[in-house]
Formats: sequence, structure tokens, C-alpha cells
Amino acid sequence: MKRLLEWMRDELLFVLAVALYVWAFAVAPDKALQALAVGGRTFLGILPIIAAVFAALGLFNVWVDKKKIAAVLGKGGGIRAVAIASLAGTILVGPVYVIFPLLKAVREHGARWAVIGAVLAAWAVKVPMVPMEIGMLGLRFSVARIALVALAAIPIGYLLEWVMGIRRPVAAIESDERIVIDE
Amino acid sequence: MLERYIGYAYLVLAAIGFAYTYAKSHDKARKAAQGGLKALRGVALTFAGVFGLVGLLDIFVPPAFIERVLGSQGGFMSLLAGSALGSVAAGPPVAAYPIAASLLKSGAWAPAVAAFIVSWTLVGFVSLPFEARTFGPRFALARNGLSFVFAMIIGLLMGWVL
Repeated sequence: MKRLLEWMRDELLFVLAVALYVWAFAVAPDKALQALAVGGRTFLGILPIIAAVFAALGLFNVWVDKKKIAAVLGKGGGIRAVAIASLAGTILVGPVYVIFPLLKAVREHGARWAVIGAVLAAWAVKVPMVPMEIGMLGLRFSVARIALVALAAIPIGYLLEWVMGIRRPVAAIESDERIVIDE
Repeated sequence: MLERYIGYAYLVLAAIGFAYTYAKSHDKARKAAQGGLKALRGVALTFAGVFGLVGLLDIFVPPAFIERVLGSQGGFMSLLAGSALGSVAAGPPVAAYPIAASLLKSGAWAPAVAAFIVSWTLVGFVSLPFEARTFGPRFALARNGLSFVFAMIIGLLMGWVL
């Protein structure tokens, strides 16, 4: 039972779609079939791009060395470090359960909060997925979104660091800094 | 139709990438293929759900409704709705694009759709507990809150750029 609930939580979109189709076939079978056809056509149209995107994802996984990126992020402290973090974040791919622990390790190796925040924001760019975005929304949309997210990653990082510093006991901040000095 | 040709062009590029990787190291190429397939298997059901929802959206939801909730007349409220919708949505970012395209086609305001996509990728409502466990609740709440606001700002700027 618990496993079923967990599965449903992980596959929320699928469960939602199935539930809505059950309802749709009950109230208007003709329209439900039409909907299924529209969804299927859209899927077939984008299928080559999906295949290419996941092939690219596999290649990214073997060529982009996450540990090397992590090592770069742990060094430096100024705006340059935050800007580099924003760039590094854009090429980082992987699910949350890989990226979060990785960045936690980076943080523990002395990276400032602004760097972690910027990486996580820029991580939303997801370079290997871009072909799919262009295919469905157009080149202009995709380029504008990537540029704006990568730029926004820098203020997001700094604001996050500011929030992390508000009203924290001095000892906690000092221990943060001590980590940096140790590095 | 055009997008299908673009897709084939990408496939050719990916094949070249694999050929190059295979020439460098058989093992690396095998790992890349396994990684890609694993990722694809992980989102297969999500894709089924998403394209199912795209069909439902197209047939069952009248464009007038989407225009009212996410249309340009809604202004700030449309932006807020777009960002909120993207935040609670669960699923990989690739799932956001088909839905966004469908919304745009039905007359949604471009900045609201942009806010939807950006918050989908930036704000992780479902992964919030995991994020709080990893970085602490303050970090998780602040990051997701900031990202929510920035999704709306980026959406507005996109409307201006496009």
C-alpha cells in the first residue's frame, strides 16, 4: 500500500492523466478519443527530438565530469565565482537526488551559499533538453529563457546568501567562514 | 512537420556524438547509451501522462477559459497563475514544453507561459522535503520562494523580449 502511494506520488502526472481520461470516457467518449488522438499526434511529432534529447543526455553523463565541476565550484569567493557557478550550473544535468547531495558536498568543501544558489538556479537551463524546447516553442523563446535564467541565477544566489545570513547566531556564521578559511 | 526534420537533424548529431564516443572508448559509449535509456525509462510514464494531458487540454478546455486564467488581460494575475501552475506541477522539465506549447496555442499570454516553464524548472514543490533535508529548511524555503518570484520577473522580461 505504501509502495503504491509512493509510486502514485512519483508518477503524479500519469495518474492524473489516467484519472481524467477515465472521467472523459465516461462523460464524452467521442471527445475523449479525439483528445487521445491529439495527444498521440503531438507525441509522434516530437518523438525524434525526444530520442535525440535522451541520447544527448547519456553523452552528457559520460563527458561532463560532475566531480570536476564540483572542484571548480569550491574555489574562489567573489562575483566571478558566482558567475562561473551560473555557467557551470547550465551544463549540469541529473535528477535532484544526484545534484542536491553533490552540491551539499561542494558547500561542505567551502563554497559560499551564493555559489550553491546560483548553480541550482542555472541548473534549470538543462542544455540537453534545449532541442525539445526549440522544437515546441521556437528558437527565440528558448534563447530568451536560457539567457534570462542564467543571468537571474546570479542575483538569486546573492539574495539566497543574504537570507541565509539573516539573524543567525554569530557562531553559526563564524563556522561557515571557518570552512572557507580551511579551504 | 518541420519539427520532425529538426528532430532527425538532432538524431544525426546524437549519432555522430555516439560514433565519436565509441571511437574513443567502447565502455564510455556503452555507459552513455545505458544512462540515456535509464533516463528515458524514468520519464516514460510521465511522457505518456503529459501527452495525454495535452490532448485533453486541446479538446476539453475551451480557449476562452485559458485566455481568462492565463490571458494577457489578466496581467499580474495571469503571471501569478502561470508561476503557481508551474510550481505545483511535478515532472521533468521536458514535460513542461508540450503543455506550454498547448497553452500558447490556446491563447495564453507569453509572459505567463514563460513564468510557467521557468517555475516548473526552478521551483520544486515535490522535492521540497528532500531539499530541506539536504540544505536545511531555511535554504529550501528561501530558494523556492525566490525562484517563484524570479519566474514571474523572467516571464515579464520574456514578454518584452519576444
